[in-house]
Amino acid sequence: MSEEITEKKNDSNWKPLILGILCNWCSYAGADLAGSSRLKHPANLRIVRVPCSGRVNPLFVLKGFQKGFDGVMVLGCHPGDCHYAKGNYYARRRIMLLKELLQSMGIEPERFHFEWVSASEGVRFAELVSEMSEKIEKVGPFTGVDCSKVPAAF
Amino acid sequence: MANEVETKIREEAKKLLESGEVTVVIGWGTGSAAFKTTPVFVEKPEDVEKLVWNPACTNNLAVYLPQVAQHAKVGIVVKPCDSRSIVTLIQEKQVPKENLKIIGVTCPGIVDDASLKKAGVKLSEVQGLDWDTDCVVVGAPSGKTKLPITDAVKEGCRTCTQRTPVISDVTAGSVPAVNPVPIEPMEGTPEERRAYWAKQFERCIRCYACRQVCPSCYCAKCFADRNDVRWTNKKADTSEAWMFHMGRAMHLAGRCVGCGECERACPMELPIMQLNREVQRRVEALFDFVPGMDIETAPALGQFEPEDPDPNEH
Repeated sequence: MSEEITEKKNDSNWKPLILGILCNWCSYAGADLAGSSRLKHPANLRIVRVPCSGRVNPLFVLKGFQKGFDGVMVLGCHPGDCHYAKGNYYARRRIMLLKELLQSMGIEPERFHFEWVSASEGVRFAELVSEMSEKIEKVGPFTGVDCSKVPAAF
Repeated sequence: MANEVETKIREEAKKLLESGEVTVVIGWGTGSAAFKTTPVFVEKPEDVEKLVWNPACTNNLAVYLPQVAQHAKVGIVVKPCDSRSIVTLIQEKQVPKENLKIIGVTCPGIVDDASLKKAGVKLSEVQGLDWDTDCVVVGAPSGKTKLPITDAVKEGCRTCTQRTPVISDVTAGSVPAVNPVPIEPMEGTPEERRAYWAKQFERCIRCYACRQVCPSCYCAKCFADRNDVRWTNKKADTSEAWMFHMGRAMHLAGRCVGCGECERACPMELPIMQLNREVQRRVEALFDFVPGMDIETAPALGQFEPEDPDPNEH
């Protein structure tokens, strides 16, 4: 994966590479609906299907950034809709905190997106991916968390 | 000032050991220099003279409890921050409460060699340390110097809002009148912050001393040691260190009591507490939660409210 990322960065036609961590019951089904409805969205999303947004270990997101993804999105069922009753409530606390922590660590807010997408929201899913992709394109490629790759400002 | 408390600690320890209520009392003892103390395990009543209390009692002794107090009755001397660690350990079922006898001490703030150096103290000349109302008194051959507490103590002690133990069987000392300094959020543009942290983590040698010394890091198998899922590689690489520290910060989110032991133990002087404080500042803002205050309350990320901050509103 990391080689693919490096190649992408050197490409003049660079397009942001996004890691999508999607809950099986709502968001993944939403993505599926977007596909079967022939909706168009940028093809630069790599989807990881998880049983529930409550399964999303913050380490998944961190690993994504460490490996150089330009953005990470976590999608789950709307509050109250969780297949496991309360997985997304736990996820909400965890991921909201992670979102803020990433900002403290200097990862631009545009690069991380946390959202609820239900199985019927295929259109919304396609919009979200397009929006996020556009936002990241403006911010530019993610240069990593390594010292050698980020400009020395201090 | 510290003397009366020290006497009280020794009295209580002696009582506990003589009555057989505990088999060991864990406390601080005289260290290799006047500005250091060392953990001591007192097993005989006649050895209670080994216990000391002064501004150098930095160790969070709660770190020993998951190993020592699982099947034995243990007495332990704790500062307010250490008492919060004990609350966390009891809440997370790592230590049975009935096995503990807690001797609490009130705390005006602790110094360590780094904070003393920063305050301009020549460490080789330090002969003794004590508090005096809102000062740290440093004894030296040339006489005693008084330093304002906020100048001399560790950063975590400057911002500390808990000056009396949260949980204890007896408490020694009066409530100190020290005003905490507010925690400042991190400044700079995202790029500057990312560069700053990359520069810090570049120094990390991943000795994991920060983890070993932390009472909240008790996992039998740490994510950093796992090789079935390799969250962090062994490679000496900044991004791997970043992964470790970020993972650790998230694991401690809503559980870190801010005792500052990780930063003290770090041989490379990484600002680990700056990261932990930043997480705690956000935990408080998001969930109005302070860790280690109540043995009935689950950690911030182990519970939820239907009204929690929602991504749609942020």
